[in-house]
Amino acid sequence: MPTEIKRGDTVLVAKGITKRYPGLVANDHIDFEIKAGEIHAILGENGAGKTTLMKILFGLVQPDEGEIYVFGRKVHFRSPLDAIDLGIGMVHQNRKLIHAHSVIENIMLGHPNAGNILNLKRAAEEITELCDRYGYKLDLKAKVWHLSEGEKQVVEILKALYRGAKILILDEPTSALAPPETEKLLASIQIMTGDELAIVPFITHKLPIVLSVSHRVTVLRRGKVISRINTADATENSLAKEMVGREVIFRLERVADVEKGKPILQVENLSAFNDKGFLALKGVSFSAHEGEIFGIAGVSGNGQQVLAEVLAGLRKAAGGKVLIDGIDITNSTSLQRWQNGMGYIPSEQRAVGSIGDFSLVENMLMNYYFDAGFSKWGIMDSKKIRSLTEELISEYGVATPNPDVSAKSLSGGNLQKLILARVLSRKPRLLIVNLPTQGLDVGATEFVQNKLLEAKKARAGVLLISEDLDEIMSLSDRIAPIYEGEFMGIIPGKSAEREIVGALMAGLQQKAVEI
Amino acid sequence: MKLGGYEVKLEKKVSFTGWQAALISILAILFALLLVGFIFLQAGVNPVIGYKEIFSYGFLNAFGLPLTINRAIFLLLCAFAFIVPMRAGLWNIGMAGQLYAGALGAFAVAFAFGAKGAQHSELSPGIVIPAMIAGAAVAGMVVGAIPGLLKGRFNTNEIVVTMMINFIAFWLVAHMIKEGGPFMGSGGEGEGFKLPESIQPLLFEGIPFTIWIALGLAVLLYFVFAKTKIGYQIRAFGLNPLAARYAGISPFKISLLVFMVGGIIAGLAGYHYFATVPGVYKITKNYGDFGDLAFYGIICGLISQGNPLAAIPLALLFGGLTNGGRFVQGKLQLGFGIDYALLGVLMIILVAFQFFFRYKIVWKQIEKEKKDV
Repeated sequence: MPTEIKRGDTVLVAKGITKRYPGLVANDHIDFEIKAGEIHAILGENGAGKTTLMKILFGLVQPDEGEIYVFGRKVHFRSPLDAIDLGIGMVHQNRKLIHAHSVIENIMLGHPNAGNILNLKRAAEEITELCDRYGYKLDLKAKVWHLSEGEKQVVEILKALYRGAKILILDEPTSALAPPETEKLLASIQIMTGDELAIVPFITHKLPIVLSVSHRVTVLRRGKVISRINTADATENSLAKEMVGREVIFRLERVADVEKGKPILQVENLSAFNDKGFLALKGVSFSAHEGEIFGIAGVSGNGQQVLAEVLAGLRKAAGGKVLIDGIDITNSTSLQRWQNGMGYIPSEQRAVGSIGDFSLVENMLMNYYFDAGFSKWGIMDSKKIRSLTEELISEYGVATPNPDVSAKSLSGGNLQKLILARVLSRKPRLLIVNLPTQGLDVGATEFVQNKLLEAKKARAGVLLISEDLDEIMSLSDRIAPIYEGEFMGIIPGKSAEREIVGALMAGLQQKAVEI
Repeated sequence: MKLGGYEVKLEKKVSFTGWQAALISILAILFALLLVGFIFLQAGVNPVIGYKEIFSYGFLNAFGLPLTINRAIFLLLCAFAFIVPMRAGLWNIGMAGQLYAGALGAFAVAFAFGAKGAQHSELSPGIVIPAMIAGAAVAGMVVGAIPGLLKGRFNTNEIVVTMMINFIAFWLVAHMIKEGGPFMGSGGEGEGFKLPESIQPLLFEGIPFTIWIALGLAVLLYFVFAKTKIGYQIRAFGLNPLAARYAGISPFKISLLVFMVGGIIAGLAGYHYFATVPGVYKITKNYGDFGDLAFYGIICGLISQGNPLAAIPLALLFGGLTNGGRFVQGKLQLGFGIDYALLGVLMIILVAFQFFFRYKIVWKQIEKEKKDV
């Protein structure tokens, strides 16, 4: 590694990177270069090949063809260790930290200076210095499991920097962060570029972030580089068009003219414990009406997941009541709720919402097997479920060769479409959706949001849980920011101000006035 | 890895057909037989002759074949007792305990009908035999239900619970058949009492009717898993318990159900071996050997990947090899347990060959220019 890197020096060059997997070319002769002191965003939809490219640059995957030059030298990564030694750092979307260890222990883990005896004091000084320089506030002795998602990400970044990273790869850096945390992160990476570091964020959506911080953008589509743009010349619409290949409408038409009907879901003083045994939901009360989207805005880990699970019958309430149509269902099973018009779309599509090794037909059956029409004397009507699956696949535009492929072979967007099709085709009267567009690209997000609006038009009561403020703001009739298991108020969607909702969900402002 | 001018790489397999899976299993068996050949050589026996003896006695001999089939029925039932919970993602290591309970249940019924010490009493087989089968099934079910209940209610580890119950059931049998036990046989040699001839089931070519239970179960279970609502629920729970819960499937009901069914089938295996196999008709002194043999049911279940039909040829093979192995040991005067050695090696190789279900080996010539990296 050269001792001195000047601003504008080319630090990494990739030439003709190609990676083939059976049945698809994930990276098709990708060329690009990164300069010191620049933020170079890689933009692309799910399945565009971003992840593969990132893995190749970090040495997790070896390319079939192509060459990589780091600081002018041709390199061949056998494992991430080679990449790290050359000054490449990476922050994963799924944090790879040891939860029971402290921050400093995590940062030291794998560091060459960490011999058999840890010199924690010296390390602490050096790490504190890094924190001060980039504006991070972090208790180095705190255990990682106490930290918020944003703080965990800071730990990952510090870990890479402390290891001497000059090129920092960030995978979806803002996906799990509250708006104020996002601001802080962006500010800190801008300081880093002043230190001649090259930052390479990989981003699926949140185009405004790309516009506000990056210098250059490389857009991928189906494994190929579609364009290289100087951010100064780009707009949100032009970026989206490059990514998706067609015009995307950003502002959804608010469907305000649906007449609000009688309350379908009433929640009274509901509380519940999370898996760790802490009271994660602390006395929440609200009602959701027919033809209404009730938005719950919150950064993940503030009790909204627990709320969704209690409402879906997957978690016991510790106190309070849940009523559907005025009937107390607090103690009824999940199955009874499905049969009585509830629909639930969980946030974890692969871990909870689908069965990866099942075919699409069998996945469709997950919400239908209990319906009388689909079995006779306990024997499934395979023709009926098959034709339903085929119908829904074409109606929802799930891209798949046939309904017999396994669910794990679908991309995130397609899988979400399948889950949506499965739940919405039951015409639920109460629809609970948790992070419906998380990790989806622009096109799929648009599709999912339109489907939620259609459900509202069909007079379903929709409970939308999301951490994406834009989504909450544009879809909801009423908004309840949730922070540490409590609603910080219930605000009508029309009069809600973005900054206020953002501050409420981050716990930065006291409870709003109930309206 | 580099070998001369070639690079050897492992590539993940995306999919494989049923025939490829069968082919891999057959290759594994041949490879295991090759390895055991060295054991024969080391013992001074020509492996070709050794195998010829094993296979001709195990599969072609008029005395050996019925023994093989009876053993295969036993293994097959044990395999099913393992497969049913396995499809729900749960591990039944308790076939031994469940089959001991099944044997005790069957003999308890016979005891209640006054079969003990009445070798020539004329009991009605039309009543007593079905009652004994029911007794075996109920006893197996009760023992199987314990780990199922604990799993469903408290999420205890079913492997530990089933293992522990094996010991309890083992000593319960000892208590019942050994000195002073209620089921003690007249000889006082630590065996159970012998069934009267009237309730020893009829044989066809040395094979009792239990073969039809085993084969019928194979077809039935295959159908249940492939086509029915409950089979779907079990498979869903086995592949992704969280998603199954999301879909309204009760973990408690599934855990309890699969272990009860597994227990019933293992109970029937106990009935089969101790009450229907010619020349046995009692809980033998060495009943523990059959508990050990039951573990090969796990191997059958694992290799067949939970497919009850695929377990049939495997059970037959294992039955034949142990039976033939035991025979050549006597005939060729080998000083070691060739039958268990054979099964042991076979087991390890079959498991090792599972590797080829996931990966294929690719040879590539290294390009000259790449070498300088």
